[in-house]
Amino acid sequence: MRIFALLTDGLGAHGGIAQYNRDLLNALSASDLVSDIVVLPRNAGTNFEPAPKKVSQLRPRPGRISYSVEAVKAARAYGPFDVIFCGHCYQAPLAAAIGRWTGAPVWLQAYGIEAWDRPSALTRASVERASLVTAISRYTRRRLLEWADLPAENVRVLPITVRPMFTPGPADPKVPAKYGLTNQRFILTVSRIAKSEAYKGHDRVIEAMARVLEAAPDAVYVIAGDGDGRAELEALVQRKGLDGAVRFLSRIPDDEVLALYRSANAFVMASSGEGFGIVFVEAAATGLPVIGGNSDGSLDALADGVIGRAVDPLDVSQIAAALIATLENPRLDAAVRAQRFAFSNFSAHVDALLRTTFH
Amino acid sequence: MCGINGIFAYHYAANPIDRRELLATRDQMIARGPDGAGRWLSEDGHVGFGHRRLSIIDLTEAGAQPMVSAEGDLVVTFNGEIYNYRELRRSLEERGRSFHSHSDTEVLLHLYATKGAEMVKDLRGMFAFAIFDLKAQTLFLARDPYGIKPLYYADDGWTFRFASQVKALLAGGQISRDPEPAGQVGFYLFGSIPEPFTTYRAIRSLPAGSTMVVDKIGAHEPVRYHSIARDFCEAETRYAGADRTADPARQFRSALLDSVRCHLVADVPVGAFLSSGIDSSALVGLMRDAGQQEIETVTLTFEEFRGTDSDEAPLAADVARTYGARHTIRVVGEREFNQDLPRILEAMDQPTIDGVNSWFVAKAARELGLKVAISGLGGDELFGGYPSFRDIPNWVKIFRPFSRIPFLGRASRLVGSPILNGLGANPKSAGMLEFGGDYAGAYLLRRGLYMPWELSKLLPRDVVVEGMRRLKPLALIAREETPRPKSAAARISALESGLYMRNQLLRDTDWASMAHGLEVRTPLVDSVLLQKAAEIYAASGTNPTKSLLADAPTQALPDALKRRPKTGFTTPVARWQQNLRRPPLAQPRAKTPWARTWARLVMAPAELSPASA
Repeated sequence: MRIFALLTDGLGAHGGIAQYNRDLLNALSASDLVSDIVVLPRNAGTNFEPAPKKVSQLRPRPGRISYSVEAVKAARAYGPFDVIFCGHCYQAPLAAAIGRWTGAPVWLQAYGIEAWDRPSALTRASVERASLVTAISRYTRRRLLEWADLPAENVRVLPITVRPMFTPGPADPKVPAKYGLTNQRFILTVSRIAKSEAYKGHDRVIEAMARVLEAAPDAVYVIAGDGDGRAELEALVQRKGLDGAVRFLSRIPDDEVLALYRSANAFVMASSGEGFGIVFVEAAATGLPVIGGNSDGSLDALADGVIGRAVDPLDVSQIAAALIATLENPRLDAAVRAQRFAFSNFSAHVDALLRTTFH
Repeated sequence: MCGINGIFAYHYAANPIDRRELLATRDQMIARGPDGAGRWLSEDGHVGFGHRRLSIIDLTEAGAQPMVSAEGDLVVTFNGEIYNYRELRRSLEERGRSFHSHSDTEVLLHLYATKGAEMVKDLRGMFAFAIFDLKAQTLFLARDPYGIKPLYYADDGWTFRFASQVKALLAGGQISRDPEPAGQVGFYLFGSIPEPFTTYRAIRSLPAGSTMVVDKIGAHEPVRYHSIARDFCEAETRYAGADRTADPARQFRSALLDSVRCHLVADVPVGAFLSSGIDSSALVGLMRDAGQQEIETVTLTFEEFRGTDSDEAPLAADVARTYGARHTIRVVGEREFNQDLPRILEAMDQPTIDGVNSWFVAKAARELGLKVAISGLGGDELFGGYPSFRDIPNWVKIFRPFSRIPFLGRASRLVGSPILNGLGANPKSAGMLEFGGDYAGAYLLRRGLYMPWELSKLLPRDVVVEGMRRLKPLALIAREETPRPKSAAARISALESGLYMRNQLLRDTDWASMAHGLEVRTPLVDSVLLQKAAEIYAASGTNPTKSLLADAPTQALPDALKRRPKTGFTTPVARWQQNLRRPPLAQPRAKTPWARTWARLVMAPAELSPASA
């Protein structure tokens, strides 16, 4: 089976979608059904480890028109392909056109917000022509099926995987020391703080802290992540008189994130707009108790409350109650429960999807 | 006959199933199966089946469900009856399979072990069942050819759930109640929600005559193994004009007797609903021919009809006397209707504009202690009893030339609709040029409750647009006459059986009878009879007519009954519901057809508070 993958973020690119694509390419190349995969990315880095077996990545084309032209050329030059994989809903019209022209079925990937609301008529019609849609969560699947008139049986859930580095273990003491958190009881959020992503709910956790401090006066809320929303949050901390109880760290590297997970007492993100929320699973995989929202893809990452507590992310009192309960009575089995999102399960599922849908 | 349910957490990310949910769904169906309850859970906790039992065949514990195969690798939960289970059992035993019970349920396990999904083609009966294959880790679901027994499912992407009723699935508490616009639109167009849609987006009906497999990647699209239209087509291809000298009446007599005989298989007494129509009367005559000694019949009549032409009682009593049946006449009045209305609306699994009569006749049968009753349902579809058999081909002949002129139909409707409304004419008549030119459109005109252009008065515009886009009503109708039989009567028969009978009559019969713990059997809705009927019609060139059914019993039906013009089974519900004062309903205009007002009454609770629907 030969696959042509149209990706926004290819190998060497940064961010969640790039990571998902890398996992998917690894899983595809591990399947004995797949002979080779040609990747055309819009963004990609040049500095990446050796590409997964069977994968050849073409030069990235950031421009919309040059990307489309290159996609058509590549389909002709490297084809024929048995499957067109389309890594983002907004590329669906291009993928559908190539699929129609070459006769190959289209497999479309849906992450989060881009797949939740009804797109243009052209994109909708293109999505509805897909032979397979994989959504990262049940929530994204449900939202997509609200506007896309597709057989529900063609829309599958393929969750994000947890990277193997996230395991329980002793924290590197240098990291908490670096941030002044040695022997400190702290609640952690790891996420960008962008104004456009206010749904992440940092402000609601800050408000909840006022109540948390009544039960746990020594607790500190640590926000790891940068963005243009930081000033507003700092102002909120001032207004609430929570100086000292809320700390802002800049964006920190992955190995330090691991050490923070291992030394924190709780992870929280009161988000109402997650496609999945991989941070919940990564934090939980280190054994850290996690708290998240119950109104979006977070419920998948929290496995309906089995991996971590799920609360109404808009309800400050519920957030506070969950934080207090977690500090007082932490659940210690999250790491085992989070293992369901291991790469091995993901990879086996990708193979089963290929066998069932395209074989 | 029973209530079934199950949960399969198929995805690697899914949690083990919640037992409380399994039992909450199962026990919501207590009326379907008051005689017992069972459950089965897999060792890994990822699969569970529930079952509520109404015991009719093999009343012992050996027939209890869910039933696990002797080898321990298959589990079944089953609702319905397999009428040919004794023959199937014999042939399975000849192939070396050994049985541990006398139930038809066990036959399903052996047949699946032997044939896999192909097993459904051997079954004669009404059924909805699920089999879990522990070795293959797959769930197999099947529903009978006509869709007599219901089966609903929901798949959230991790976990698959199924049950005999929509309301039972909701009772589990894990399924989204987001409304399905195609269901809302479909209800107002047809008066019942056409499958596979339901009121809710997340819940679908497994289509009649279909099977479905769920494995570790999830549910696969339903596969249709039976089509009424195809049966007619195949008979036309194979037998067209093959035997013009044959005696269709004699052939029908034998085919009908065979079906009735099959439908009498039970370990409890089988009674019959009797109206003053040919269908139910002929069946009582055939029950006598099949050798049934004691026949208990029940007739429904209404206080308002006493002494009028609409009263079914005198003629029905005459029929009962003719065949020596023990006969009961049950009178229903407005007071009882008002008393039962809340329970009727609660038992109504999906909104429908009918079912009240089925409710009361089932209630009457249960009061007599019956657990099983024969119904004449299906006679109109098989023997051309509806006006549609005459009207639709006529309309298509007249309007087809006009339908070829672009925009004419739409223009005539836009101009004509306000005028006809002003004159108080039937609002459908404005659509004759637009829809009357083909069978699907003409069927919508004939059977439609509201017309597409009227929907915006009932539902928000975006619901209408999305609903029509998802429902595709004309394609949905056309699917039931595909492949297309040559004979007009066969096409109408396929349409009426696949739409009105399936989505309305059979569904209403199921919830209304199950609410009373009564099993209704329909010998005229039978895949073997259908095949024979299609052959007889094709070979003899005869058109469907009720006399073929009326002449089937050895002892003739009373003459008065055969001479009686068809009235249909009417109830005074129209007047009763007009007397109801419900705040959400505007007072209907004098000429509003009663079914439309009733439709709004039925939908009112759902629209007012979705949580209580």
